[in-house]
Amino acid sequence: MIDALLSALPLVFEPANLFAVLLGTVAGLVVGALPGLTVTTGIAVLIPLTFGLDPLFALGMMAGMYNGGSYGGAIPAILLRVPGTPASVATILDGYEMTKQGKAAYALQVAVVSGVIGSVLSAISLIIFAPGLVKLSLLFGPAEYFWVAILGLATVASLLGDDFLKGLIATVIGLLIGTIGTDISSGTERYTFGLLEFADGLDIVVLLSALFAIPPVLMMIEEALKTGMPGDLLKLKRQGSVLADWRRYLPIWMRSSVIGIIIGVLPGAGGSMSCYLAYNDAKRASRQPETFGKGNPEGVAASEAGNGADNAASLIPALTLGIPGSGVAAVILGGLLVHGLRPGPQLFAEHPDVVYGFMVQMLLSAVMLAVVGGLTATRIFGQALRLPRVVLAPVIMLFVTVGVYAVNNTMFDLYTLLGIGLVAYMLDKLDYPNAPIILGVILGPIAESQLLLAMTISGGDPMALVSSPMSMIMIALTLFVLATPLWTVWKQRRRSSVEPAK
Amino acid sequence: MKTKTWLAGCIIAGLAALPSAALADYPEKPIEMIVAFAPGGGTDVAARSIARFMEKHLGGGARIAVVNKPGAGGEIGWTELARAKPDGYTIGMINPPAFNSLVVEGKAKYTTDDFQPIGNMVYDPGILVVGKDSPYKTLADLIEADKKAPNTIVIGNSGAVGSSDHIGLLNLNRQAGTTFKPAFFGSTAPVRQALLGGHVPAATMNLSEAVQLARSGDIRILGIMAEERSKALPDVPTFRDQGIDLVVTTSRGLAAPKGVPLEILAKLQAALEAAMNDPEYRDAAIKAEIPLHYLNAEDYKALIDLISKNLAETWKVTPWR
Repeated sequence: MIDALLSALPLVFEPANLFAVLLGTVAGLVVGALPGLTVTTGIAVLIPLTFGLDPLFALGMMAGMYNGGSYGGAIPAILLRVPGTPASVATILDGYEMTKQGKAAYALQVAVVSGVIGSVLSAISLIIFAPGLVKLSLLFGPAEYFWVAILGLATVASLLGDDFLKGLIATVIGLLIGTIGTDISSGTERYTFGLLEFADGLDIVVLLSALFAIPPVLMMIEEALKTGMPGDLLKLKRQGSVLADWRRYLPIWMRSSVIGIIIGVLPGAGGSMSCYLAYNDAKRASRQPETFGKGNPEGVAASEAGNGADNAASLIPALTLGIPGSGVAAVILGGLLVHGLRPGPQLFAEHPDVVYGFMVQMLLSAVMLAVVGGLTATRIFGQALRLPRVVLAPVIMLFVTVGVYAVNNTMFDLYTLLGIGLVAYMLDKLDYPNAPIILGVILGPIAESQLLLAMTISGGDPMALVSSPMSMIMIALTLFVLATPLWTVWKQRRRSSVEPAK
Repeated sequence: MKTKTWLAGCIIAGLAALPSAALADYPEKPIEMIVAFAPGGGTDVAARSIARFMEKHLGGGARIAVVNKPGAGGEIGWTELARAKPDGYTIGMINPPAFNSLVVEGKAKYTTDDFQPIGNMVYDPGILVVGKDSPYKTLADLIEADKKAPNTIVIGNSGAVGSSDHIGLLNLNRQAGTTFKPAFFGSTAPVRQALLGGHVPAATMNLSEAVQLARSGDIRILGIMAEERSKALPDVPTFRDQGIDLVVTTSRGLAAPKGVPLEILAKLQAALEAAMNDPEYRDAAIKAEIPLHYLNAEDYKALIDLISKNLAETWKVTPWR
């Protein structure tokens, strides 16, 4: 392995290939920062363009695009409360609160440093563990995936916000939206009203934009009407250094990265789940869980480290078995094939220089992100916030509509965006949290389809759900996640009864 | 993304087509190529790759912009293609048999006669596979196990109900008198993983999706649902070799709306054929294990009609929906 690594290094550091990684990282930042444009789309457009190029040049661009795009989503999430990519929803929770408190620069700094650390650890784990970790993912069948989804849903408990009942209602709304579409086992259409456009359910990008982009735009307009043109609340000066505070973040970075890597290796779970699980874990472990969602930088750190750690890890099953761990990994798999690199164990024997080169490029692009994403991007995108609100609101609206239109190239999605956006605005006004909605939409269908598969395979025997050790572990984790808030409440009650004088 | 693709198309077309001076009257503006699936999928990558080479062989600075219109298993994009103006400036990818089965089910807002096939590009047969440690060494083993314990063997399916996989399994059950039950995984990656992890005893998918794992010995293909053996894996028997006349393949090809002027159709067909014979394209496709299989407009139409006829027969006996 060391030999292959060493022989790949000169190729990676050829000027052209270095430039490719840089180019990809910058392009990825822009793609990720624009709502509606996803990393998957970016790489899909890239593949045919790189047809005749040197494999490492093409793969370098893809590696850069992957890491850059994955972080890029955090920029509008923090500055504008608009998720650039589905994975950045958990970053909004604390990131946008920090912006409101005038700590945008610090929030972006936390995001980029955490993202870089997650991506770097993920790339290192890819290089070291690629063949070994695959065995882990094979232990997950439908029953195990069902429990992973349930575990994800259990984390809703930490996203509920202050009002427990409203949070639960929001979750149920999400689960109901998730039932829209065609059931793959029976072909039955549910809640599609005979519309072809609903046959696959609501598009997640449309839904995200409607839930997270429309309400803040409308609020901005509302605010501008009330107050005229307010001065900027944004100061993008240096506000402390994340690296100086490393002791505070180190445990979060480590735990979130491990979570991100594990979720990344599992196919199907994908980026947004690792952010939620990492966020939830940080909140659970924190001494002041009540400050999460109110502008605690640790929330941003957990979400972005989890997000970054998902990237390279999702390539582990893709490279070694040809099973992509995420949508992006699936497209990269296509890119590898175009260059004649057949995924599977033999890939490492047949083309060691390219495979190891690519894995090193994943690491390299993560490091480049620290430079490009930290300084340049923050300055450039930060300027957006200096715009007066009356100008900013329509500009965001423009980006969102163009991005949403680009997903399926259909007006129908824009009507859906507007309709759901208005409902989301009302829910926002009534203090319903919208993060649980999106979690319900993503996890509900996974839980349902995997349960159905598990039952089909076992011939309807419910014991199949609890028969494997991996299922037991997932169930135990779920119970642990559910019990933690209760335990905290119990502890607080006890403390207040012991020390009534205080 | 549309703009981006267009821009990219411009750049490539500009680079590739500088020398050709003779400017024919078609195409005078960019040609739209509708892909009924999302960016990044197999059909999308195939479309974007062939588009680049067709631009080259259409000459005269021709531009082809790939436009994704995903949704409802392809129905949205195909309906749009069927209704487009037949002037040669809208073409699209079609994917039989899914393309036909929507019609056979009586669900689609188009019929196969609304299209003018241009040519076939990819021909990918279905297969039945088991894991490398499976007790079923041959197709006969698996069928015998089913006869001993009917209704117990579950076969992982890489699609949804009505997919080519599903139809393949229905036909197998009909012809071999078996009672295999499908478990729908919706796409290939999860069913491949379930098979490798031993969560399902066997699975159906397309040959190109399993070639690498079959070569590395991680899975064993029990039969290919094609007329003849694959050049990529000559040792693997077809179902016909084993006495079951099961032929189910998926295809990817190009079509235009019905009524395209004959000379424009001829130009498109010639460009597709030249693109598919382009050494650079062939090389990339062989490396990527894409089973290329060119058919001209006439032969492709015959194939599409044959697929429709077979589907209608299956539907009569075992409606899948």
